[in-house]
Amino acid sequence: MINIDITHRLGNFRLAPKLQVGPGITVLFGQSGAGKTLTLEAVAGLLTPDSGRIAIHDRPVFDAATGLNVPPYDRRLGYVVQSYALFPHLTVAQNVAYGVFDLPRGERERRVDSLLTTLGIQDLADRRPAQISGGQAQRTALARALVRRPEALLLDEPFAALDEGVALTLRRELRRLVRDLVLPVLMVTHDLTEASHIGDRIAVMDAGQVLQVGDRPRVLQRPRSARVARLLGIANVLDGNVIGSENGVEVHTPIGPLQTARTGIAKGSVHVAIRADQVILTRPDRRDDRPNILDIHITDEADFGHSRTLYARVANAPTAPILEIHIAPHPYQVMGVATRRRWRVHIPPDAVHVMKT
Amino acid sequence: MIRPAPCEVARRRRKPITPEDPDLTPPPRSTARSPLSWGQLLVWVLAALAIALVLAPVGVLIARGITQADIGAALASPFVRGAVQLSLVTSAIAVAAIVALGTPTAYLLARRRFLGRALVDAIIDLPIVLPPVVGGLALLLLLGRQGPVGSPLAAAGIDVAFTTTAVVLAQMFVAAPFYIRAARAGFESVDQRLEAVSSTLGARPWRTFRRITVPLALPSLAGGAVMAWARALGEFGATIMFAGNVAGRTQTMPLAILEAMEADANAAIAIAVVLAAIALAILIAFRGLARAGSRAL
Repeated sequence: MINIDITHRLGNFRLAPKLQVGPGITVLFGQSGAGKTLTLEAVAGLLTPDSGRIAIHDRPVFDAATGLNVPPYDRRLGYVVQSYALFPHLTVAQNVAYGVFDLPRGERERRVDSLLTTLGIQDLADRRPAQISGGQAQRTALARALVRRPEALLLDEPFAALDEGVALTLRRELRRLVRDLVLPVLMVTHDLTEASHIGDRIAVMDAGQVLQVGDRPRVLQRPRSARVARLLGIANVLDGNVIGSENGVEVHTPIGPLQTARTGIAKGSVHVAIRADQVILTRPDRRDDRPNILDIHITDEADFGHSRTLYARVANAPTAPILEIHIAPHPYQVMGVATRRRWRVHIPPDAVHVMKT
Repeated sequence: MIRPAPCEVARRRRKPITPEDPDLTPPPRSTARSPLSWGQLLVWVLAALAIALVLAPVGVLIARGITQADIGAALASPFVRGAVQLSLVTSAIAVAAIVALGTPTAYLLARRRFLGRALVDAIIDLPIVLPPVVGGLALLLLLGRQGPVGSPLAAAGIDVAFTTTAVVLAQMFVAAPFYIRAARAGFESVDQRLEAVSSTLGARPWRTFRRITVPLALPSLAGGAVMAWARALGEFGATIMFAGNVAGRTQTMPLAILEAMEADANAAIAIAVVLAAIALAILIAFRGLARAGSRAL
């Protein structure tokens, strides 16, 4: 468990992350410049914050109040920086062995060999970093960070420089590795797909602050604010106004009144997030008694291979934002979406996510 | 904060530019075959003069050294042997001391931002532009028997001026900037992220310095030490002012050449040839180090 609660000022930028990292992979997700790398550096001890506390497994490593600041070499963390920073003058095996110089030789070699084997780079032991590929360099950097048996692992954009195929394999291996080691991992990425593939938990960071932390599905389905929803790529974020109604809570939005499954919301101004993959396209010519039925007119569409995005205007709401709808290629074919432009959508009440403004 | 090393940027820039636009490809060099224009002829003549200015005197020196001066006999004479020995010993000590004092200085200049850093930077370079005789005089004023540091030392029975120690100090004074400059550039070229990663791997600063920083800066450090050594070997002006010209104690090779010229030109030529040979060896070693350095990374 890593506990972070610090502030640090850099020019006009204010870094103030507050975050708990438990076992498994916590993805620190945000746009570039959000302060993700600075947060990692603070945990690793490479950046001294102005104030606050950092603790690793209840062992404080930084506390501005008491002046405690454990140097990086005593924090017992594994840190993999962006583009790996392998030592160019050392071989792969020497890079990995670097952190265990204080172990007896036999034990040191055993540990290095076992890690090289685990990561599938035992054949490269005598190569120099200049002679291996990006994926191999990433494995080497990971082995080097793990060789000291760190109490937690910090990864800064570990897969950003790799080909998609290599990155996919390595993500899977990292998940397996972390499960076996029972290690808290804090991993920085600006890649939403990566964040939703690999994270057990997601921490959304923006302008120096952690806006929301939680289990991956919860954060992806239930963003706390409009900003988080937009950062997480939720296409339809609307202004709304909650009013009571007989059958639950109703929200007035620019695309019309919507029923939400959520209860216990105070009346007044809110934001509404609707994931594009939860908007259901239906035929316009049938009677439909379900709630949240809207007539739409498709104005544009884009093919992303594994899914299509439809851009639609809602009938009777010409000034409302364009509604985005994801549809898989198969139903798109079967329904003949390409043949007509007037359709109807159903938004299930539990897909209408209401957030405080 | 971690920033990429300047060398990384430089390396990226060195990528070959492939001309895709035919307009960007240079026109065929028709000038190579056509007769030289007057302007081009002038350029070649001036360049040839510059080369001759360097090569001709050295060539004559070596030719005379081989044909007339009996180098073997000159080297056997106690006068020449004493000078060669003193030069090698003092310059070796000077370089060792320069490395010991200059490495931390260069590291601080490369890695730390401190008050007066720009001033220190300028002061370090002062001996390069200062005439050596002036430097020698300054050392004498400081460490001579009447000097602010020299007089208490003299009271304690320690004489510095006109001793072998003075020779070493004069050599250090003039040669140190060559090492510090090179070492500083070498340290600056080491990617600081490597040092950061090293520290997260349990390495205390001293271990990081020894295992990461120094090995990666080694070509620059060695090159700087070699240049400083060459400068120390040739030191004349500051030495003669501060240490005098006492055979066996302060008479290094350059000073011995001066004295020999008054008595036996052949001995002077013999010493000069030895000095020139060492200088040439140093130059070749330096080139080799520079190439090894660029190959290593």
